[in-house]
Amino acid sequence: MKFLINPNQFNKFADIIFKPLIFLSISFLLIGLLFAFLLSPNDYQQGSTVKIMYIHVPAAWLALITFFIMTVYSILGLAFKTPFSFIINSAIAPIGATFTLICLLTGSLWGKPMWGTWWVWDARLTSVAILFILYLIIIFLKNSFSNVVVGEKITAILIIVGSINLPIIKFSVDWWNTLHQPASISKLSSPSIDPSMLKPLLIMTVAFTFIGLLVAIMRIKAEIMNRKIK
Amino acid sequence: MRIFSSISALFKREFQITYRNFSDLMSIFIFFLLAVIIFVFSVGPNKEIFNEIGVGIIWTLILLSNTLSLKKIFQNDFDNNNLILFHMSGLSYEIIVIIKIITIWLFFQIPFFVVIPISSILLNVDFVNIKTIFLSFLIGSPIITCITTISGSMNLLNKKNFAIGSLIIMIFSIPVIIFVVNLTNVSIEIANAQIKILLGIMFFFFAITPWVSATCIKLGLQNK
Repeated sequence: MKFLINPNQFNKFADIIFKPLIFLSISFLLIGLLFAFLLSPNDYQQGSTVKIMYIHVPAAWLALITFFIMTVYSILGLAFKTPFSFIINSAIAPIGATFTLICLLTGSLWGKPMWGTWWVWDARLTSVAILFILYLIIIFLKNSFSNVVVGEKITAILIIVGSINLPIIKFSVDWWNTLHQPASISKLSSPSIDPSMLKPLLIMTVAFTFIGLLVAIMRIKAEIMNRKIK
Repeated sequence: MRIFSSISALFKREFQITYRNFSDLMSIFIFFLLAVIIFVFSVGPNKEIFNEIGVGIIWTLILLSNTLSLKKIFQNDFDNNNLILFHMSGLSYEIIVIIKIITIWLFFQIPFFVVIPISSILLNVDFVNIKTIFLSFLIGSPIITCITTISGSMNLLNKKNFAIGSLIIMIFSIPVIIFVVNLTNVSIEIANAQIKILLGIMFFFFAITPWVSATCIKLGLQNK
């Protein structure tokens, strides 16, 4: 597990898994899209718009997971003074912002036919919008210091303080009874979603995870090279 | 005893600096009143509308006025190396931050108790609501001061992007604004629960602010 905190080990590990990861992400994406568009049924109420879910839900999960990873690495970086964690933070923050933007845009497109409006001030929607702005602030704050070391440490502090938003997003649908539906897959009892729709959703989640990992590996390698040049 | 004398000296210094720079302080409150007047111009002088949204306007402007005091907290002392001198006189950075929070709260928030009734009369807010605003301001203003302190200490070495400090204040005060503005619209039982939540947020920020700010100040001083 050394590759998680050591740049050289990470480079070696990344070279090993890079090509399989390309193959896996393309194949999972194709299979997932095939299942989503041809093999999964339309919803009896929502019609074919339910297929937005196969993009919307994985993007939302990955947006949260990216912020969680950044929080863990910020704590590691500040506590154990591992510079590699700041490299990871600055590399994956734009990925998380992109996933949050995808989640917001697809949710808006889904909301127009279903709820009759592009946007409501619902707890879940608002907290995800705040997450997007938080990602942007993190990216800007890192770039606004002329001293790189200070910038990334202060950004790490901001990430740790800002991670208080994560449980609010997760439980917003349970604490406030609002328009956005509560979680239907991660419930402790059996999931309240039909297996024919659950299968493409899980395949698309895996595909999105692989794509995110792929972009993250590319960005982290570029960031390591950037630091070495400096 | 030496620590107490240095703490009281620091208090006295903060009082003197603020009173010698009184116009600086007053301009923040004139900003507040001017923004209220601009709100009236932009929405139109309709009394019913302001009765509904007046509390929200007042709280939004309190937040915006607080972002103006961002650079006043640590920036001058940091640039003149005064923070190192305070530290050499036997105070830890955490205690310096606590003293700064108390003085900033006294100078930049207590005058709002004069300005809020004036703006409430201008905005036609009910008299019952003014008492609620006072109560919520008493709990909410220390939280906003703490957030301002955190943001001010984060941006000590930031010479490129001046607006980002205000962004950090605004994004972390969203929960405070939600609960504080709700107080005027809900029944007394729910209001009690929300006051307890606000008190919880306040003590949370009291707990974390000295450590977070002191860490940021130390980082800035090491890399100056």
